[in-house]
Amino acid sequence: MTTYTPTSAGRIDPFFGHPALFYTTEKDYLQGVGEFVRAEATGGRPVLVAVPGPRLQLLREAVGAEDEDVTFVDMRQAGRNPGRILSMLQEFADRHRDRHPSIVGEPIWPGRTEAEAWEATRHEALINLAFNGRPVTILCPYDTALPERVLAEAYRTHPVVGDLNGYRHSPRYEDPLTVCRDCDTPLEEPTDPLVLHFTEQDLADVRDTAGQWARTAGLSPGRHTDWLLAVNEATGNSVRHGGGQGILRLWRTADTLIAEVRDRGRLSDALVGRRRPDPLSPAGGRGVWMMHQLCDLVEMRTPPSGLIVRMHVALD
Amino acid sequence: MQAVCGSHDGEAAADRHVAVEYSTDGEWAAHLVPFVRAGFDKGEQVQYFADATDPRLVMRTLADRGIDADTAVRRGQLVVTTADETYLSGARFDPDAMIVLWGRAVEAALGQGYPNLRVIGEMSWGARHMTGAERLLEYELRIHHEVFEQLPLTAWCFYDRRLLAPDALDVLTGAHLTRAGAAPRSHARPGLSVVPLAGGPGFRLSGSAGYESRRVAASASAAVAASPAQDITLDLSSLDHLDVAALAHIADAARRRPSGTPLRFVGAPPALRRLLELFPELAPGLQEVGR
Repeated sequence: MTTYTPTSAGRIDPFFGHPALFYTTEKDYLQGVGEFVRAEATGGRPVLVAVPGPRLQLLREAVGAEDEDVTFVDMRQAGRNPGRILSMLQEFADRHRDRHPSIVGEPIWPGRTEAEAWEATRHEALINLAFNGRPVTILCPYDTALPERVLAEAYRTHPVVGDLNGYRHSPRYEDPLTVCRDCDTPLEEPTDPLVLHFTEQDLADVRDTAGQWARTAGLSPGRHTDWLLAVNEATGNSVRHGGGQGILRLWRTADTLIAEVRDRGRLSDALVGRRRPDPLSPAGGRGVWMMHQLCDLVEMRTPPSGLIVRMHVALD
Repeated sequence: MQAVCGSHDGEAAADRHVAVEYSTDGEWAAHLVPFVRAGFDKGEQVQYFADATDPRLVMRTLADRGIDADTAVRRGQLVVTTADETYLSGARFDPDAMIVLWGRAVEAALGQGYPNLRVIGEMSWGARHMTGAERLLEYELRIHHEVFEQLPLTAWCFYDRRLLAPDALDVLTGAHLTRAGAAPRSHARPGLSVVPLAGGPGFRLSGSAGYESRRVAASASAAVAASPAQDITLDLSSLDHLDVAALAHIADAARRRPSGTPLRFVGAPPALRRLLELFPELAPGLQEVGR
């Protein structure tokens, strides 16, 4: 079996590298991730470090926050919705396309809900599609305290896996679209949702009703705007692309409001909404990207009947 | 362009460009006759541009109500014709060309010694599938400032409720600062409406802008883009919501303005600020005032 040293993590593919690094302790983390960041920065490569807050602090102190080629981002905020992470990574890679940028992306941490973890796994699979053949290295640290299922999926979404003892090709690496299909877990049925059938002429009424409903449910003014913009894009997409009509269902859990739109649309591109669109282009792609930016979680399913988009906004 | 006619003969531009709604021939006549009579009393030239109505019925109705229409036609004070024979005779309806035509028509009336031109136009052609008809709302919005605030002109836009869909009618008549004969709205849908500002170049957007009102947003944006005014304002204080498509239309219009000055907006709804956070590239050309 071929092995690689940690600092060569990204150099297996001459262009795109996407290794997973399994770690257990802070010491492992600093050695595996910290050394990677330091080596890449020393080599003159711009580095984006997007990891959860506590780990971010650790790396800042170890690597030094003053290096202007290293950008630190708290993944708990920037990647709260896993569906928006890929856009951020692509923007960074695009900005530094001539300098072979490197990224540390840790999208899953202990405490992620199961639904979030599935969407983060989908994001990991889509990285392989989005960056195929592009000169970028994306190192993804995985805490071995994560559930066994999550760790097993990391072997399917990363062509290369490793730990402090070295890197190797993942024997279980899987086609990204196959992984995405496996992430399409059944969605739990809500009890007693508010159900609104709509066509184009109902869109303004639907916005009005969804807005009032969320306000009554206690959504803060700031998030209320996010909610309304997301519902607007999802229902508008149903009318434009989903057969001219749709069904909006609204319900709440203990801490979250959920809006679900069902229509007869299809999802032609697994990467839709994962790249920042040109807002002046009516060609499409704005709506799904916005939903990812505005919501805390977006789940999409493609049953034979059409398309389901489920958007979560927290009541915090 | 200098505003030379903000108040003509004591009447502000807002009172000289009026949307008139009717749904019976009796209502139509009840609006028509006093309007024409008032014009003759003031020595003004009166022109009627018919669309659905036979011009002979216009003449007969005036005569039946005691107005000597035939004599007025003979001496050139009254012109009764059709839109198809005049301003719709070209390949398409073109607001820019129409605005030029208004200037010529008023100039001709003044040249003949009339102090003011007084016009009725039937607007039912806006519901027909003709090239350029989709620009009718843009036209109605633009002429408040580009025509009525500049020229001695009084015009009543006749909207027959029997010939236009309720939603389209609401939007088109709502683009006038003064409406006559408007029935209470049969539906209370929170759509998007646009009206010119009475106090200076600009428009007020009210309601909620989404995919369903994209044509209204596009028309308002086209009116913004075409405005020759140095400064123009969008009053958004009555706008509950707008989507990214509407904002993109507005931002694009702001950049295309001939004056090159920023489009000022007041009373932005939270959605606009959030959209500018997501898409800061839409901000150039927009300037928030009075915050």
